[in-house]
Amino acid sequence: MNTKQLILATLATAAISLMSASAAVAQDASAAPAPIPAADAAWAEKKVVTTCQWCHGAQGHSISPIYPALAGQKAWYVIEQLQAFRARTRADPWARGIMWGMAAQLTDAQIAALADYFSKQTPFYSTLAPAFDVPKTAEIQEGKSIYNDGVAATGVPPCSACHQAAAEGSDQFPRLAGQHASYLTKQLIALHNGTREQIVMNGIAAPLTVPQMEAVSVYLESLH
Amino acid sequence: MAKFNWLRINAWCGRGSVLAAVLLLGVVASRPAGALPLFARQTGAACAACHTFYPELTHFGRMFKLNGYQLDNGRDIEMITDEGKSVLGLPAVPNLALFIMADYVSFKKAVPDSQTPGANSLRDNIDFPYQVSLLYGGKIAPHFGAFAQVTYSNGADTFNIDNTDFRFANTIVLPNKQPLVYGVSINNNPSVEDPYNTTPAFGFPYLPPATFIPSLAAPIVEAGQAYEAAGPIAYILWNEQLYLAAGFYREARTGSSSPGNPLTGNFGPIDSTTGAVLAGNNAYWRLSYEYDIDRYALMVGTYGLKFKLYPGNGLPLSGATDNYTDVAEDFQFQFIGEHNTATLKGTYVKENQSLNASSAPSVGAASPHDWLSYATVDLTYWWERRLGFDVGFVNIHGSTDPVLYPSAPTQCIAGSGGTCGANLGTPGVGGVYNVGVTNSANSNPTTDAAIGEISYAPWLNVKFTLQYTHYTKFNGATTNYDGNHRNASDNDTTFLYLWYAM
Repeated sequence: MNTKQLILATLATAAISLMSASAAVAQDASAAPAPIPAADAAWAEKKVVTTCQWCHGAQGHSISPIYPALAGQKAWYVIEQLQAFRARTRADPWARGIMWGMAAQLTDAQIAALADYFSKQTPFYSTLAPAFDVPKTAEIQEGKSIYNDGVAATGVPPCSACHQAAAEGSDQFPRLAGQHASYLTKQLIALHNGTREQIVMNGIAAPLTVPQMEAVSVYLESLH
Repeated sequence: MAKFNWLRINAWCGRGSVLAAVLLLGVVASRPAGALPLFARQTGAACAACHTFYPELTHFGRMFKLNGYQLDNGRDIEMITDEGKSVLGLPAVPNLALFIMADYVSFKKAVPDSQTPGANSLRDNIDFPYQVSLLYGGKIAPHFGAFAQVTYSNGADTFNIDNTDFRFANTIVLPNKQPLVYGVSINNNPSVEDPYNTTPAFGFPYLPPATFIPSLAAPIVEAGQAYEAAGPIAYILWNEQLYLAAGFYREARTGSSSPGNPLTGNFGPIDSTTGAVLAGNNAYWRLSYEYDIDRYALMVGTYGLKFKLYPGNGLPLSGATDNYTDVAEDFQFQFIGEHNTATLKGTYVKENQSLNASSAPSVGAASPHDWLSYATVDLTYWWERRLGFDVGFVNIHGSTDPVLYPSAPTQCIAGSGGTCGANLGTPGVGGVYNVGVTNSANSNPTTDAAIGEISYAPWLNVKFTLQYTHYTKFNGATTNYDGNHRNASDNDTTFLYLWYAM
């Protein structure tokens, strides 16, 4: 990691921590989230089976790579995204086209229950790459390098600095391991061009080229 | 929405009710299309969630339909009992939508004038509007949903009930966490309940030109009794994959002409003045299996019906019936990518006819057993849901029957070139018609067509389509099919239309 990358990574971590801290203060959230009432949990399970899984797959293991897998995703992240859809502040194309509607009438309790449900499912690992794509060994290697070491030339910090070495996510950063590559690329493009606003990732994705985005995406998809 | 209408001019028409056939043609030919901004209003999701492009459904769209149009992301007007039981869950904003279509149609060769021998009708025409549809639907109450369409068509200059589907649906979560949807659809057109675009109600070709020359025959499942029948179809959907539907249809008209029944002076009950009346309960069934992997959805299925019809049209609605058994196999292979969608689909229908009524010498002496087959396959491609291409083929084959498919018109005018015999110059009810254009010189219904479409959609709810239909065979022959020097390709049709959905 060069100095520029180090500064960016530190700034990113600091910014996220600051945002989380302020959010925590605002919501008076403790480290351990409140348990989900049984009725809400049952509602969430039924909602997933009768609606969410049409796109996101049974138990959040999505079939089509257009839609992200949600199984094993961090609960806080699912909550944050559903709230952003509801508030129409996350505005990438499919968020607008589908999720703004889907989340429009969800209550905070329902959002929490859905997030809890998905976070407790067996983590998803895409099995599509070997079956349907030509071998991407070189691309995966390039992606691995970007993920672990960043792109020194353009000052892109290592992804692993925040998303963890195995991309399993944390209390502040979403899980990425095993996610569909095409979904990840689509999000990186949206973060790059600003249709999805996320102040830290907008800055990190800005210097990324599309081939770099694709490389890091197929690397993440290949993680098992 | 309308099937491209290979209008079935059947036994009852063969018996001489050409006027009825022409009227029917006007009505049925102008069936509309239906993608529904009203569902977008209810779900908050853009068209692209449910459709690759209207009317073809995605997996999400299929689930939405089979779950009874229930997904509701708007505010409801609600009421509960003291015990907390919901008694009203009505969408606060009525789920309405409007379709408007305008078109331009041109035949390769003009059709003869219907009144003046030797003269021709206009080769092209404009319909403005072609159709205007008012649609209402979506969630009516928890578990109850609807899709209802009323359409004004320029050709008939009337409002008509279009595809209409009232549904109940519910989902059981099985112990293994798989969903089992069960429901009932009460509808007015066999296959309206179906979620795939291979079955007749929402199948290719999607929209007929406003003006077209109908071929002689198509299996009855291909809209033969559309909007004239009604019935309950029960279904289950297991794990978003296995779909089974079965039910029956009954006659659902109240009289063929105003004021309906001459005795009551009011609509219905229908009697022998109506033609082609369904007898009793008539079975319809459907079985399909969908497999989804990556961006692909593959479906294989089968469907069919067994319909019994009284010929009517002067014959009492009792005794022998004409029996039609349709068995179809269909497939749909759908690819939905981020920027492109492509769908290959096809269906093959085989119809066996036991014409117990129409084969009687006193009725018309059609062959006691006839058959028809109907095959269609098409490939659709959309780029960015903005530029669309569709190419497909429709092949109708069938047995030769001089009574069902008369080689000469049953009414003639002098000098028209047809073989009029005793009918020469006979004034028919409603006048004369295009001699030969809809007839088959060899009494065979074989019609083969290729259809190509290019569409441009500047917005998801605004579409311009240019469609060209080329016939290699029409009513039994490639050349001189009507015995009056008209070739199949003379019926080639250019159809340009504009579709607004709001």
